[in-house]
Amino acid sequence: MEERDEPILSIRGLRKSFGVKEVLKGVDLEIYKGQIIGYIGPNGAGKSTTVKIILGLEEGYAGQVQLFGKDISTQSAAYKKRIGYVPEMADLYDNLTAEEYLTFIGELYGLEAEAAGEKAGKLVELFGLTEVYHSRIASYSKGMKQKILIISSLLHNPDIFFFDEPINGLDANSVMVFKELLAQLAAQGKTIFYSSHIMDVVEKISNRIILLHNGLIVADGSFEELKNTNSEGTLEEIFNQLTGFNEHKETAQKIVSAVQEV
Amino acid sequence: MKEFRTLLFLDWFRGIFEKMGFDYPALRRILQVKFTMDQRRVPTVFQQQGKKGKESKGENRFIKSLWIYALFGLFIIPFVLIGENYIFQMSIAFSVIMFIIMTSMISDFSVVILDIRDNTILFTKPVEKKTISLAKTIHVCVYLFFLTAAMTLIPLVVALINQGFWFFLLFLAGILLSDILIVVFTALLYYLILKYFDGEKLKDIINYVQIGLSIGLAVGYQVVARSFEFVDLQVAFTAQWWQVFFPPMWFGSLFEWVLNGDNTTLVILFSVMALLFPFAALGIYIKILPTFEKNLQKLNSHGGKRRKKSNPIGKSLMKLMCYSREERAFYQFAHYMMKNEREFKLKVYPGLGFAIVLPFIFIFNHLMMSSFVDLSSSKVYLSIYASLIVIPTVVMQLGYSGKYKGSWIYKVAPVERHAAIHKGTLKAFLAKLFIPLYLVMAVCFLFLFGMKLLPGLIAVLVSAFIYTVVCYKLLSDGLPFSESFDGVKQSDGWKVLPFYIIIGAFIGLHVLSLTFGYGIYVYLVLLLVVNFVVWKYSFRD
Repeated sequence: MEERDEPILSIRGLRKSFGVKEVLKGVDLEIYKGQIIGYIGPNGAGKSTTVKIILGLEEGYAGQVQLFGKDISTQSAAYKKRIGYVPEMADLYDNLTAEEYLTFIGELYGLEAEAAGEKAGKLVELFGLTEVYHSRIASYSKGMKQKILIISSLLHNPDIFFFDEPINGLDANSVMVFKELLAQLAAQGKTIFYSSHIMDVVEKISNRIILLHNGLIVADGSFEELKNTNSEGTLEEIFNQLTGFNEHKETAQKIVSAVQEV
Repeated sequence: MKEFRTLLFLDWFRGIFEKMGFDYPALRRILQVKFTMDQRRVPTVFQQQGKKGKESKGENRFIKSLWIYALFGLFIIPFVLIGENYIFQMSIAFSVIMFIIMTSMISDFSVVILDIRDNTILFTKPVEKKTISLAKTIHVCVYLFFLTAAMTLIPLVVALINQGFWFFLLFLAGILLSDILIVVFTALLYYLILKYFDGEKLKDIINYVQIGLSIGLAVGYQVVARSFEFVDLQVAFTAQWWQVFFPPMWFGSLFEWVLNGDNTTLVILFSVMALLFPFAALGIYIKILPTFEKNLQKLNSHGGKRRKKSNPIGKSLMKLMCYSREERAFYQFAHYMMKNEREFKLKVYPGLGFAIVLPFIFIFNHLMMSSFVDLSSSKVYLSIYASLIVIPTVVMQLGYSGKYKGSWIYKVAPVERHAAIHKGTLKAFLAKLFIPLYLVMAVCFLFLFGMKLLPGLIAVLVSAFIYTVVCYKLLSDGLPFSESFDGVKQSDGWKVLPFYIIIGAFIGLHVLSLTFGYGIYVYLVLLLVVNFVVWKYSFRD
């Protein structure tokens, strides 16, 4: 491993509860420049909550979150200028056209309207959406909307990205472009935080994998390291093993027998 | 993106906003985007007219709808003009103002207040939260300003000319205070609902308010036009303690106190409440706003535990009405669609409400001209046929759905004959929407006209069954719930008009049958036979 001094993101003792339910039970994490982190875990493990806390969407947590060396709770919203975010829920102001929407987002990130429009136009062309650039987003297919979300996270040239299921609905060719894009962005020194349920993609693109289970980090390392400490072969199997799930055969069998009785 | 005059006006205050620590360019940009999106939205008052119309480039549709509110404003003028019984007349005026602003606030601005997309889109951007909150508040206030201004501008001018400067000033202050009260009250209402229920419940409540507004407006035209005949201005009106729960009274009292020098304790108490309450509410509102924003997240949740009550009567009714299993399935399906689809309810329920009111308006008209004794011997009960006008409208809407894309299921499922789909849907409409409504009316009519009306009322109901099939065959060509509401054309509203002639034919036959002794029974049997034939042989595919 190469020498890295300052972590880009450092989380210490992060806890968060919703009512009586404790979702995060003390997460410690340090992330460095240029890493592609695969952030995985079962549904409800607390992945989205972590990201939401970093983005300032959730408040009232215990512990410390430092981004670019500064505590986010004491900062103004300006630190978000260096973040690119693709949420899991494709929330968009979809009665705007892509041009209107992207220009608006660019301006919120502090770009000049013209510069934002120009850059959005360029990216839209590269993502193959030029034809629908001036149509309302409401008329887009799922994959097209996803591309708009991706573009809106790139516009302001951020230093760290948070992607939550970013390839949802993209076709195979676009997925290839996107994977390559991640590698090249990381090579430029960008940091990428990638949550997904699609294990083979995470396995291929990440150079570090963090597995969250029941609000705690249960594995942290490169895929090779995980393979060495666990007996299983693929990330999917490691995932099953670490989250203690080994009833997939029985469950499937029960489903089949329920299907067959009429 | 377009420049808005409102924003140019706001630019004058740029310095103040910046001094208070708001990010003005971001604020302005957010508002610009919000206004642009609003241009592409249709206000509820116009929704009944169907189609969204062409892409209007120019003004906001909301602004264009303002003339309707200006029209409502005219109804206030008489109350401003008549006499000096202020507590009475101004309480009524404020009731009208507050009712209309409140309902349109809930039906049209809820989208603004409850937009959770703001959360992921705006809060993740480098913009301070207080700037976003301010943008939201300004957004609502701008619309509230236009709405209130449209409605009260003419009455205010009339008040200034006729009642003098002090009356005008009180009126203006009262309007502003009630605006504050309404904004805060709406927000608090949402806050409480969201605290104890989930988002679905809130959406339901908003939906019912929208429906209420539409019915209120439709019926309002009829009632207000007549109401002036009843308003007895000589009424000696004194305040009662329980009226403290009726905010328009507070504002009425204010006039009584200041202009008529009424010093009774209650009047003064009410006046003080009119002045203090809005500000107190505002204080609470600012305090709970952060928790409110947090609760908004719940809008997305679908609170799972809604247990289904089993309904044995409904089930046996279904078995009685539908023979085949397929038909029962579609009956259930159509029932759920009609019950759960808010857009459908918004389009159809106002019509249903109107249908139930219309016959009584006829009776009422008759009563104005003659006595009650005369009523039971007259043929005014035939006005119950007026309730049938809702049938073509609803039957036409049955073809549409907000979630029309789900209709692929018809093609994929191994349904042998489409007859079951059509029949099940129509029977669900009759059983779940029309018959309950009709029963209510029938009971009232039996009470008003006596039991001898019973065979006649059954004949009307059977006519309604036949009429439903006729309308459906002639008006609807596709499968139910399979087309987008966007496809409803402006001209479709006129399509139902010829069908009113058929109602006329039913009335004619009914009257004809009455000319023979026992003729109504013969007519009833004939109708039953026709009904059987129509339902059996109309759906053959």
